[in-house]
Amino acid sequence: MSNFLASINYNSWILHVLLVFPLLGAVAVFLSPAALAKRLAFAVTLLEFLLSLGLWWSVNTSNGTMELMQTIPWIPQWGISYAVGIDGISLTMVLLTTMLMPLCVLGSFAAITEREPGYYALLLVLTTGMIGVFIAMDMFLFYVFWEVMLVPMYFLIGVWGGKNRLYAALKFFIYTMAGSLLMLVAILVMVRVAAVMGDGKVSFSYFHLLQYAQSPIMGRIAPWLFLAFFLAFAIKVPLFPFHTWLPDAHVEAPTAGSVILASVLLKMGTYGFIRFAIPFFPGVAFSTFVTNTVVTLAVIGVVYGALVAMVQPDIKKLVAYSSVSHLGFAVLGIWAASVQGVQGALMVMIGHGFSTGALFFLIGMIYERRHTREINAYGGLARVVPIFSLILTVVALASIGLPGLNGFVGEFLVLIGSFRIYPYATGIATTGVIFAAAYMLWALQRIIFNKLDKPANEVIPDLNRRELAVLIPLLIGIVWMGLYPKPVLDKIEPAARRYILMTKGLVVPGDDVIRTKGASQ
Amino acid sequence: MTGLDLLTPSGLMVAMLPELVVTLAAVIVLLINAWRHQTAADSRFAGMVSLAGLVAALAVLGALWRGGAAPLGAPNMIALDGYRFGAQLLILGASIGTVLLSLDYLERESLIAPEYYSLLLMATSGMMFLAGAEDLIVLFLGLEVMSVPVYVLAAFNRKSAVSAEAGLKYFLVGALASAFLLYGIALTYGATGSTALTVVGQRIAAQGIGTMSGLGLALMLIGLGFKVASVPFHMWAPDVYDGAPTPVTAYMATGVKAAGFLALVRVLMVGFGSAVDTWQPIIGVLAAASMILGNLVALAQRSIKRMLAYSSVAHAGYLLAAVWSGSQAGASATMLYLAAYVLTTLATFGILAVLGRGGERDVTLDSIAGLAQRRPAIAAALTICMFSLLGFPGTFGFIGKWAILSSITAEHHQFLAVVLVLTSLVSAGYYLPVIRSLYMRPPLNAEIHDGVILPGAARLTVALGVILLLVLGILPRLAIDRADSGARSFAGTALDRAAQARR
Repeated sequence: MSNFLASINYNSWILHVLLVFPLLGAVAVFLSPAALAKRLAFAVTLLEFLLSLGLWWSVNTSNGTMELMQTIPWIPQWGISYAVGIDGISLTMVLLTTMLMPLCVLGSFAAITEREPGYYALLLVLTTGMIGVFIAMDMFLFYVFWEVMLVPMYFLIGVWGGKNRLYAALKFFIYTMAGSLLMLVAILVMVRVAAVMGDGKVSFSYFHLLQYAQSPIMGRIAPWLFLAFFLAFAIKVPLFPFHTWLPDAHVEAPTAGSVILASVLLKMGTYGFIRFAIPFFPGVAFSTFVTNTVVTLAVIGVVYGALVAMVQPDIKKLVAYSSVSHLGFAVLGIWAASVQGVQGALMVMIGHGFSTGALFFLIGMIYERRHTREINAYGGLARVVPIFSLILTVVALASIGLPGLNGFVGEFLVLIGSFRIYPYATGIATTGVIFAAAYMLWALQRIIFNKLDKPANEVIPDLNRRELAVLIPLLIGIVWMGLYPKPVLDKIEPAARRYILMTKGLVVPGDDVIRTKGASQ
Repeated sequence: MTGLDLLTPSGLMVAMLPELVVTLAAVIVLLINAWRHQTAADSRFAGMVSLAGLVAALAVLGALWRGGAAPLGAPNMIALDGYRFGAQLLILGASIGTVLLSLDYLERESLIAPEYYSLLLMATSGMMFLAGAEDLIVLFLGLEVMSVPVYVLAAFNRKSAVSAEAGLKYFLVGALASAFLLYGIALTYGATGSTALTVVGQRIAAQGIGTMSGLGLALMLIGLGFKVASVPFHMWAPDVYDGAPTPVTAYMATGVKAAGFLALVRVLMVGFGSAVDTWQPIIGVLAAASMILGNLVALAQRSIKRMLAYSSVAHAGYLLAAVWSGSQAGASATMLYLAAYVLTTLATFGILAVLGRGGERDVTLDSIAGLAQRRPAIAAALTICMFSLLGFPGTFGFIGKWAILSSITAEHHQFLAVVLVLTSLVSAGYYLPVIRSLYMRPPLNAEIHDGVILPGAARLTVALGVILLLVLGILPRLAIDRADSGARSFAGTALDRAAQARR
């Protein structure tokens, strides 16, 4: 495989193609008639996924450094370049994104009936934005992708969303923008300070800033800069108490929107911590005050999210709050800064992408049949729709963290990794797993077991082939990552180790980080 | 044609050629009007002649710019540098856009009076003098030549009471502002013995800023503050913007504001550069107040025209923040932001003029609901304009805002930068509802969007504006180059030396 990829010079063009191709596809889809739009969009996303698959073999993740780095001057007057690169962490995130997009398109075929070309075009624009965030190596470029992504999501929620969509869309937009604007100022200030330190060289390159981030002048203002980055990412994660936009957005978004929000967008927050906030300012991030605060917030998120999920009458809201709980684990793992902790955090991010994505798809499918998300409106579905019930059970168990399914791997690693460092906090967080079992199993009981006492539930059809095609890839992922996570763990381990060195200030960036051609030698 | 001796009449004439061409066009249009001023065709003909005049001025400007015209020896009366050329490009662009928007608008509203165009041209020449003035007397003359025609234009719709009110209000406030400016000039002359900006700059650098020159500066700031509608001199803006015919509103929001700001930059950089410590706090307070007040009050508006009026106050605040930084980067950012603002505002008002069709119905968030279904292209264009005003990545507005933020943070003083981004966030609260109405709400009734069609010339303006917004939002190198080279005109001024020393 590697030889084949090398023979077509895969590494030199793939990152650009991954960014540009969905955009071109979006234009084509937007201009095509409604009947064709969804098929075309599916073809584009599927092809995008197949193209991106090569990254698994071609990116050399063994050093934990940035590979496939490409830098093209963009606005030279301001020191801005189009710079992209990928390491093990980005790799898994990019593949998660490209894998989910065809499923999202396929899963929307029945649900979206009006203004279809616009809808699918927005999904494609969103694809570019999400991939861009994960591979941008220039702070300006990163910021552009980070913000541009808001627009398609805003329209997806606002146009194709549920009853309260206008409010949810605005809230989502404003919350996210609030965080990112302060990050914008922080980026600019960092660049200015770096320019003073580095002989007046103004550059927005990630590595350039990393090089000067630990300089003494930066040290004086570092707490403020860290705060700005922290807010931007904490809102996105979302870390308690910045999570209030999430239930609204999740509940009101159309199914594919909820899936993307949960599976990819939330991960950008944790990714931002790992890639930017902490490596830039490890001293601040691991100071006693910040550590205590973040770990406390993460643990509150774990427990609070689970408790609130338990009392939700709406299934989608239940899953939304469960995300708050799961992402709390990821943040805990990131701040543990041990190999297991960070690997666990990344596994939570990936695993949550699979299981919560599948949950939202399942909720969307049952909603299309019954037009309600009230848990109490269901009951006894196991007898009517056995396949649906079986898959829902498996996915719910994965979400709880049953050994053998993917949810277990991540949370278990996080708990092991952080126990030595924050024993009490980890102890409390463990209860989150128990609560997760409680809310999920209870919801499961009320939906698919209990008595089949509502006549409307007796006539709903089971999943059709298209819906199975959406769910089965996710199920395969859930089982594979639960039973044999080693290949994924191997991919992320060097990057995780490198991250840990960065948190201790042990890696001097700039000497070995920038490697323009490094793959598959 | 590189060196022009500005002390000789012929040199001065060549230097002022763009202004002269516009003035000449104004006179020609006026003459044509004397014979032909009755039918719609006459009005359109006058419009076409004005357009030709403006394009000719643009060509002359291009020749001067490309030829690298520069003064031999001391500058006199009128500046001859990149910053003036850039300023005039903006002003001519705003005027051409306004003429294109007016062609069909005047016919629709049956405002058949071709004098409209000659007034517009006179105002344009005034703006060009104002933005290029190297002498305070020229500055004042430019301001008056600009203002008087705009007073008339604001009241141009004789059948509308609000238009008359707008004209009267603008006239009274504007006259007061002129008085302030003139008094400020007089005091400055008294303190320094000259009205030439360069000489004023030298004297102030030598003797320091005293009570008299300080007072002069303050009064001039008030005068220009009125023109650019910065807080606390903004009270006239909402009523005037709302009442004036929509293309005139576009003209006031773009041309007047651009000319005012570019003149302000020149006065502060060249004339009072050494007194930067005196004016920086004042400008900073005005900037913060304009950003905060403009954005907060805009939130409460239902009428989109009034909302844009308050948002223009907020944009004045952003621009003042760029002026505050008092460096070449700040001058460049002012120019760049103005370019983005001019493009966006022209396109926005072009669309609003169509939405308010037939007797200038009030365009509100409710009345545009559901437009995207009926007129997807217009809705998309307005959406892009809103994102550009919001300063969202991917649009030219973002590049402008980035330039401003960058020039502020370069001074290692973050307060204004933080105010700017926080108030930008507030502005999302009123720009996004416009988009929300367009795409996410059903129309009030089935017929409400009948007849919303952009006529040819306006369509051209809007389309060109929106395309430029997107292209320059992604590939801004050329625009940045122009703005930067314009700002380098201020290299070596007292202020520039002060800015270097601060580093």
